[in-house]
Amino acid sequence: MSALCPPPSPAVAKTEISMNGESPLLAATFAYWDNILGPRVRHIWAPKTDQVLLSDGEITFLANHTLNGEILRNAESGAIDVKFFVLAEKRVIIVSLIFDGNWNGDRSTYGLSIILPQSELAFYLPLHRVCVDRLTHIIRKGRIWMHKERQEHFQKIVLEGTERMEDQGQSIIPMLTGEVIPVMELLSSMKSHSVPEEIDISDTVLNDDDIGDSCHEGFLLNAISSHLQTCGCSVVVGSSAEKVNKIVRTLCLFLTPSERKCSRLCRSESSFKYESGLFVQGLLKDATGSFVLPFRQVMYAPYPTTHIDVDVNTVKQMPPCHEHIYNQRRYMRSELTAFWRANSDEEMSQDPIIHTDESFTPDLNVFQDILHRDTLVKAFLDQIFHLKPGLSLRSTFLAQFLLVLHRKALTLIKYIEDDTQKGKKPFKSLRSLKIDLDLTAEGDLNIIMALAEKIKPGLHSFIFGRPFYISVQERDMLMTF
Amino acid sequence: MISAPDVVAFTREEELGDELYREPPLPEEYSVPLFPFAGHGANPWAKVASSKFSRDFILISEFSEQVGPQPLLTIPDDAKVPGSFDLNYFSLRIMSVDYQASFVGHPPGCAYPKLNFVEDSKVVLGDSKEGAFAYVHHLTLYDLEARGFVRPFCMAYISADEHKIMQQFQELSAEFSKASECLKTGNRKAFASELEKKLKDLDYTRTVLHNETEIQKKANDKGYYTTQAIEKANELASVEKSIIEHQDLLKQIRSYPYRKLKESDFHPYEPECTLDQAGAGSEQDLAASDPAEPGEMHLYSRLPSYTPKLIKAKPAKCFDKKLKTLEELCDIYFFTQTLDQLHHIERTFRGDVCYLLTNQISRALLKQQNITNFLFEDVSFLDEKAPENRDRGCQGLSQDAADRKCSEESSTPKVVISLGSYKSSVECVPIKMEQDMDDPQEPAMTESITFEHQENLDYLDADLKGSISSGESIEVLGTEKSASGLMKSESQASLPISPSPQVGRSKVGSRRTVSEDSIEVLSTCPSESLIPEDFKASYPSAINEEPYVDDEEGGLRFNPRLNPDNTDEQEDVSNQENLAQIDSACCIGKESPNFLEPLPELGQKQCDEDGVVRIPPQPYRQAEQGLHSSFVGSPPCDSASGGLLPHELDSRYPTAGREVSRTSLDECSDSTSYISSAASTCSDRTPSPAHPVCLANERHKKKAGQNALRFIRQYPFAHPAIYSLLSGRTLVVLGEDEAIVKKLVTALSIFVPNCGAYAKPVKHWVTSPLHVVDFQKWKLIGLQRTVSPAGVNVLHALSRYSRYVSILDADSKTLRCPMYKGTLVARLADHRTQIKRGSTYYMHVQSVLTQLCSKAFLYTFCHHLHLPINERESEESVVNRRMNFLKLHLGLANEDIKIVQYLAELLKLQYIQEPGQGVNPLLRFDYVPSFLYKI
Repeated sequence: MSALCPPPSPAVAKTEISMNGESPLLAATFAYWDNILGPRVRHIWAPKTDQVLLSDGEITFLANHTLNGEILRNAESGAIDVKFFVLAEKRVIIVSLIFDGNWNGDRSTYGLSIILPQSELAFYLPLHRVCVDRLTHIIRKGRIWMHKERQEHFQKIVLEGTERMEDQGQSIIPMLTGEVIPVMELLSSMKSHSVPEEIDISDTVLNDDDIGDSCHEGFLLNAISSHLQTCGCSVVVGSSAEKVNKIVRTLCLFLTPSERKCSRLCRSESSFKYESGLFVQGLLKDATGSFVLPFRQVMYAPYPTTHIDVDVNTVKQMPPCHEHIYNQRRYMRSELTAFWRANSDEEMSQDPIIHTDESFTPDLNVFQDILHRDTLVKAFLDQIFHLKPGLSLRSTFLAQFLLVLHRKALTLIKYIEDDTQKGKKPFKSLRSLKIDLDLTAEGDLNIIMALAEKIKPGLHSFIFGRPFYISVQERDMLMTF
Repeated sequence: MISAPDVVAFTREEELGDELYREPPLPEEYSVPLFPFAGHGANPWAKVASSKFSRDFILISEFSEQVGPQPLLTIPDDAKVPGSFDLNYFSLRIMSVDYQASFVGHPPGCAYPKLNFVEDSKVVLGDSKEGAFAYVHHLTLYDLEARGFVRPFCMAYISADEHKIMQQFQELSAEFSKASECLKTGNRKAFASELEKKLKDLDYTRTVLHNETEIQKKANDKGYYTTQAIEKANELASVEKSIIEHQDLLKQIRSYPYRKLKESDFHPYEPECTLDQAGAGSEQDLAASDPAEPGEMHLYSRLPSYTPKLIKAKPAKCFDKKLKTLEELCDIYFFTQTLDQLHHIERTFRGDVCYLLTNQISRALLKQQNITNFLFEDVSFLDEKAPENRDRGCQGLSQDAADRKCSEESSTPKVVISLGSYKSSVECVPIKMEQDMDDPQEPAMTESITFEHQENLDYLDADLKGSISSGESIEVLGTEKSASGLMKSESQASLPISPSPQVGRSKVGSRRTVSEDSIEVLSTCPSESLIPEDFKASYPSAINEEPYVDDEEGGLRFNPRLNPDNTDEQEDVSNQENLAQIDSACCIGKESPNFLEPLPELGQKQCDEDGVVRIPPQPYRQAEQGLHSSFVGSPPCDSASGGLLPHELDSRYPTAGREVSRTSLDECSDSTSYISSAASTCSDRTPSPAHPVCLANERHKKKAGQNALRFIRQYPFAHPAIYSLLSGRTLVVLGEDEAIVKKLVTALSIFVPNCGAYAKPVKHWVTSPLHVVDFQKWKLIGLQRTVSPAGVNVLHALSRYSRYVSILDADSKTLRCPMYKGTLVARLADHRTQIKRGSTYYMHVQSVLTQLCSKAFLYTFCHHLHLPINERESEESVVNRRMNFLKLHLGLANEDIKIVQYLAELLKLQYIQEPGQGVNPLLRFDYVPSFLYKI
C-alpha cells in the first residue's frame, strides 16, 4: 500500500456490540490487502459476551486467511465475490465478500467477513442469501464512500497542504457498522424465533374442522394464493402474536424446509424489525395499531411481498417478479447515484434520504389488491377440509398439492426451455403454454411462474420482461412531454 | 404502511437542480445492472452457456512441493469437458492458500516427528471473470518421502452456476467427505505399509551395519577406533534412531482411528460392498485383534513377503526424487473406490440445478404420501439415498457427524473393510457400537407408524363397514378361489374384528355389479391371493347388488359391496401370519408344498358353490395349471403368460428376499425363475456409485414420453385408449411387428396405474394365447398377431375375452373399447399440444396424474362420504352423496368418475394391505358396450 496507509499495529480496532439474545455470530471483520504486508485486518465487530469464544488474534488470523490467495483475484469490474469457508480445524465457518476498491489513493482488494461456529452451519445456510445480499449492498455503498473520501482527501491536502491521519479511511467503518449490527440482530432473532423445519399441521389453520373456523374463507384463500404468487414471501402483521403466528405457520406449510428456516415467527412482547429477504415473517403492530414497513427494505427483498393483516383480514401484494426486480434495480441505482452525488457527510449519512435520478419515480403504492384469481388454491381449500383433521390425511393431501405445484413448475421451465432453445430465441407462445399445461387461469399461471422463478431465477424477466420494459420506457417518454 | 423517511427521498428531486447532472455519472463498476436477467443475451440459461467449459466437472489438484499447484486429473476424464478453461491457473487459485495450516513435522520439544491428522476444509470460491465457481474440498495425504510427510490435495467441483454450488453445499460436502475419507483410509493403509517396509529396510540395514561393525571390531587390533569404525558407529546410531522414529510414526498412523473415534464427528470410510471382498478370514482377523492395544499389534505379521534393501546413509536430494503419484499414495482398492465415488458425484450433480432442486423437493414430498406412490410413481427414485434427506434429523451435529449418522441409518454397517495386510480393524468397532445405539429407536419408530396407520385404518374400516349392510347386491367372483371363502365366512360369522390391517385387506374382497346391459366384475387377487388360505378368507359371503346410478347411461350400476360379516377376520389373521412367514422368508417358502395342496380343490369349489359364472369359460385347465405353476414359483410351462408370475415384483420391492431383477423381468422374463431373480437381486447390491437403475429409468421415461407424444398425435382415439388404462380395463395392443407393438406399449405404459411400484402390469410382448389370469396380472399387453395355426389360437382366445378388454390393433390402426366422454384425459393427452419433447410431455403427464391421485385420495378418505350419516339414511342416499361429491367437489363428469373410482379402489386396497406388500392388480371386467374407432 502507499505511504498513506496507517502504520501496522498489533491492536486492531474493535467494536463490541451488546445483543439482547444469543448471537450465533462470533465476529465480523473488515480486512484489506496491503501490498507490502499482505492481508491486514482493519476492524473487528464482535458481540459482547462474557465468554470469549474466539480471541482477537484468532479472528485476525482467520480474516487474513480470507484474503490470502486474492493476489490472484480475477474478477469482473465491480464484482463482489462471495467466498465461503468451512474450516473444520478451527471449527468455524466464514463468509467473505471480496471486492476491489479505491481507498486512500490505492486500488486494493478488501474483504468483509462474518465468522460463525461450525456448529451453526445448518442454521446459517438457509440464511446465506439474506446475509450476502445485505452485505453486498452495503459494500456497494461503502465502495462509493471510499472513492469519494479519496477525492475529498486529496482536495484537503491541496487546500490545506497537510495530511491528517485521522481522516483517512475511517468513515467506512461506521457505515459498515450500520449494516453489520442489523445482520447480527437478524441472526440473533432467527436463532430464537425462526420457524421450525417441520411444521405440525395441527398448529395451523388447516387443522380447523371446517374452513372459516379460524379465519374467513376468502381471506385464507387470498392469503395463500397471494403468498404463492409472490414466491412464498409474505409479511403477516397483527395485534395478536398468537393469531399472527398461526397464519405464519400456515403459510410456511407451503414452503420448503430450508425456506421455513428462513422465516420468522412473531415475538409476543415487542415486534421485531422488518427484515428484507426473509420468506415469511410475523410482525406485531404497535400500540397505535399500525406497523410501518420500511419502503427501501421492502424493495430490496429478492422477491415481491404479500402483506397480510390478520386484524382486518386484508391481503395486498406487490407486482410480479419482473416488475419488482426492475423497480428494485432502479431504486438501487438511484440510491447509489445519490451517494455518488452527495456533497457532504451529512448527505451521505442520511441513509434513508436518497435522491432519485432524473428518470425514476418509484410508485410508492407498491402493495395492491390481488388482481388474479386462481383455481389451484381454491380447489385445494375446498377439498382439504373434507378430510378428517387430526390424522395424517391432510398432511398427505397437502404434500400432493405441493408436489403438483412443483411438477407443474418444472414442466413449465422445461416447456420454455424447449421452446426457446434454452433462451436463444424469445418466447412467443404463452397462450399455448397456458393451454397445454392447464394454466389458463391467470392466478394459476402466476403461482406456477412464481415457483418456477425460485428454481430458475430470471424466468419472469425472460418471459414478461421485454414487453414490460417497453411499456415503462413509453410511459417515461410520455412523461417527459 | 410505508415509512415516512423513505417517502421523503422522493420529494427532493426538484432541489437537486442542474448542477448535479453536470457531475460525472456513477461509474458502472459502482452501480448495479438494471436488467440482471434481461440484458443482451441474458436469459435464465445464459450463465451456464457463457462459461468456457461445456459442463460441470471435478478437478483434483495438488500442491506439489516441487512445482507448486498443479492439476492432476479431471472427472470426467475428457479434454472436451474443461475445454479451453485454464486448469493450471484455476489450480493455482484454489491451492494457493493452505486452509489446513497446522503444524506437521518436528514440533519443538518433541523427540520424534509428529503426525498431525488434519481435518478437511471446504471452501466455495469463484472466478467471476472466467465464470467458474467451485466447491473445493481440501485434504492432506501422508507420504514418507514428502516434506513434513504431508502432501496437500484438493478435489474441486467446478460449475458455471454460482448458486448451484451454494444451494447444493451440504450435499456436495457430504459426498466429497465420503470420497475424501475413502482416499485417506487408503492412504493411511499405504503409508503404514510403506513404513513397515521402511522399518524392514532399516532393520536389515542395522543388521548389516552391526555385522560390519563387529567384523571391524574383531579385525581391529590397534586398540583404538579408526575413522571408518566411528563412521560406521554413527551410521548405526542414526539407523537406530530412524527405526525408533519410524516405529513411532507407525504407531501414530495406526492409533489414528482410536483418537479420531473419540471425536463425535469422525466419519470412517465404509465401503458399501465389503462383504464379498473382505471374506470371513478378515473378519476373524478383525475380531482377533485387540482394539484396546493398538500399539501392541505386531508390526510385520501381515506384511507380504518383502525383500529388505540396504538404505544408503545419504538420501537423494529433494529435487532428484520423484514424488509419488496419487495412485501410489493410496491403496489401489480405495483409490478405485474414490474414483467411483467422484464419478458418482459428477453424475449426481451434473445438469441444471433446477432439476436437482425439484428432485430433492419431490423426493421429500413423495415420502409423505406413501399411500399413493404406488399408483404412478417410480419408487426406485425414492429408494435412492438422498443427501438432503439423509441430513435431516442430524441437526446439531457437524456435517461429518451428520454424514456418519445418516449413512449408518441408511445402510447396514458392513463391519469389514478389506484391508489386506493392514490391521486397522479398530476402525470398524465403533460402527457396530453406533448401530447398537440406534437399534432401540427402530421399534419405537415402527410403533408410531403402526399406530398412525392403525388410527387411519380404524377410520377407513368404519367406512368399509358402513357400506356392507345391504342385502341386495350380488357378489360375483372373478377368480377361481372364491368359493372356499364363502364357506369360511359363514362358519365364522361371529368372530370378532381384528384391528389388524391385514384383516381389512380381505374385507374389500371381490365385488361385482350387474345391470341389464352391463356387468362389472371386480375381484381382488393380491399377490398372496394365490395362496389358497388367503382366498378362503378374502371373499365375502354375501352377494351384493346395487342399482346402477349412472343416469346418463341409463343402466344400473352395482357398486362394490363389502362383506357385512366379520367372518373371515380370524381366518385372515392366521393366513396373514402364514403370509408374513412366507414373505419374510426366502423364495423357498413360496415353494412350500403346504400351499399347493388346496389349489385344485379351490378351483372346483369356485364353480360349484357359487352358481354364478365368475369367469369366462376356459377351454381346458391350462389357466389353472398356469396358475399353479406360477404359484409355486417355477416358470410357467407355456409362454402365454410370458413367464411373468403374479408375484413378479419390481427390483425395489421392499420385502426381504423378494426383490427381482428389473432388467431380467422386462426382456428375459420367459426364463426367469423366482430363485434366479432373487439371485440377481443380490448382484444388484454390489456397490454402484451411480444409479444405473435411475439412469435407465430416466432413459425409459424419455423414450416413453416420446412414444406417448407420438401416439396422441397420430391416433385420434388416444383418449378412449388411455381411459381404458386409467379405469383398469386391460388394453391389448395387437400387431405383427414386435417393434411397433412394443413402442405402443411403451407409450401407453405411462398411463397404467400401479405400474412403477410393486407389480408389473405391463407386458410388452406376448406370443401365446391369453388367459383370464393374464388380465389380472397385466393391464397393458402387447400381443403378437401371426398367421400360423398358433396365431389363430391367439386371436381366438382374444376374441373370447374381447368384451372385457380393449383391443388396439396396431396393424389396422383400430381400437375397440368403451366410449369416453370425460375431460380428464383431454388434459392429459391433447393432440394439439405444443409440447415439443418427450421428456417434457412425460413431466406434464406426471403432474396431471399426481392431480388425479390427489382426487382419488380425497375421494377414498373423505370424511363422512362413505358412511351413512345416521341409521335411517339409505344406502342409495349414500351413493348419491358420493356421486355428488365426485361431480361437485371434484368437478368430474361422465367416465372421469370411473377413473377416480378405480384409483380410489386401488388406494383402498393398498391402504389395508400389509405395509410394504403393495397392491396387486384387480381382475376387473366391464361389460359395457365397446365401440370401434378407426383412423
